[in-house]
Amino acid sequence: MKKNLLIGICITIFLIGVIGIIWVLLPQHGTEVNIVQDGVILYQFDLSTTKDQTIDIEYDGRINTVQIENGKIRVLDADCPDHTCVRMGWLESGTLPIVCLPNHLIIQFVDTDESIDAVAK
Amino acid sequence: MINRIFCLIASICLVLLMFNGCSNSSENSENKRTSTDPYSSTVYAMDTVMELTVYGNEDILEKSEDLIYELESKFSVTDTESDIYNINHNSGGAVSPDTDELLKLALTLCERSEGALDISIYPVVQAWGFTSGENRIPSEAELEELLRLVDYRAVSVDENNNVTLAPGMEIDLGSVAKGYTGNRLVELLSENGVTNAVLNLGGNVHVIGSKPNGEAWKVAVTDPSGEGYAGMLKVVDKAVITSGGYERFFEQDGVRYHHIIDPTTGYPANNDFLSVTVIGSNGAVCDALSTALFVMGPDRATEFWKKSDDFEAIFITSEGISITEGLEGVFSPLGNYQNEKVTVLYRD
Repeated sequence: MKKNLLIGICITIFLIGVIGIIWVLLPQHGTEVNIVQDGVILYQFDLSTTKDQTIDIEYDGRINTVQIENGKIRVLDADCPDHTCVRMGWLESGTLPIVCLPNHLIIQFVDTDESIDAVAK
Repeated sequence: MINRIFCLIASICLVLLMFNGCSNSSENSENKRTSTDPYSSTVYAMDTVMELTVYGNEDILEKSEDLIYELESKFSVTDTESDIYNINHNSGGAVSPDTDELLKLALTLCERSEGALDISIYPVVQAWGFTSGENRIPSEAELEELLRLVDYRAVSVDENNNVTLAPGMEIDLGSVAKGYTGNRLVELLSENGVTNAVLNLGGNVHVIGSKPNGEAWKVAVTDPSGEGYAGMLKVVDKAVITSGGYERFFEQDGVRYHHIIDPTTGYPANNDFLSVTVIGSNGAVCDALSTALFVMGPDRATEFWKKSDDFEAIFITSEGISITEGLEGVFSPLGNYQNEKVTVLYRD
């Protein structure tokens, strides 16, 4: 009996955990992305207002070609050995950035905390 | 069974670890944010409330307040001791170097905007009651009479800071004074080593540098309907200044009359604009141009921007939001405009 209660509690906590994971992993992101290399923000875009374009980003002689199209962003082509970044496709998740490890490149949605510093009126 | 329980416990630990990881990282960024302490001060001056937030240097706030009061005492139209009161009531006179500088700057902006901004509109604004709060609709004859005195070209300043006005003429530097004061505060703070600050002079926002954590300042633009924000800008070292008919207005017989008077008609500017926000490095220029562009209306304002290289703008009309090309990726719509298309204006 005691064992069943323990299992019950465990299952409850586990379910809360699962819901928590889903909540964390859901695409809760705005439209702002930044492109970071070695901790330096190279570009910051609001995908809702940025026009379609491709950008070449160099690292140690190798190039990642980043494409912005119809409010989405992806790595179109890359000189890296594994091409994981290209295979990841369009950036969709707020928590899972596009990463090119060999070229130290990260494309991610910016923290969606919209705390305002001042209001112009 | 034991195995299953073990699995469950292991999963729970994993989940807890994940959350722990998340909360840790946000704590870290909090710490970074407070590495320099903010000091704030609220100043009631120039007919408005000003909020000054400065990072790292508390002593400079008092000097900033003194500067605001000092400039106010020179630019005020109502203070009987002020430079402006003096020249308005004597058709001219000597002014302080500060007033001289602001007046000359204001006149160049009147000229640049081809009179869409006119510092001599003051008697007309008075007739509408926007200075006293006792609003009324002046008669056509009265406006026609008053408009004869409205012409910034009749204001002259000589090299000895002596100002001459045409008889009966009165000027008000209200459309540039706050922007100019912002410039002077930015100058004072920068000279004293302040590298991060946000100054809100009654809705005229000036930011110095970025936030202490290196992020751009987030400046919201008011929704002209008065409810919430129309959008947000990320800015570094800029002034963001909005003019709109929603700020001060009165209604009579179902018609709304706002306080931004078109110097050519004597009536409130009547075009598709709900608000105009100007973003640039020089606060006085932004302040003046936000009013001037609002008076010009969308077509002329767009042409004016195309010929200029010292500001970007956000135009809000009943059709939606347009931004100039320099704001691409800097502006994001919020609230009622969040799902609306933002039109980008290009120079070519």
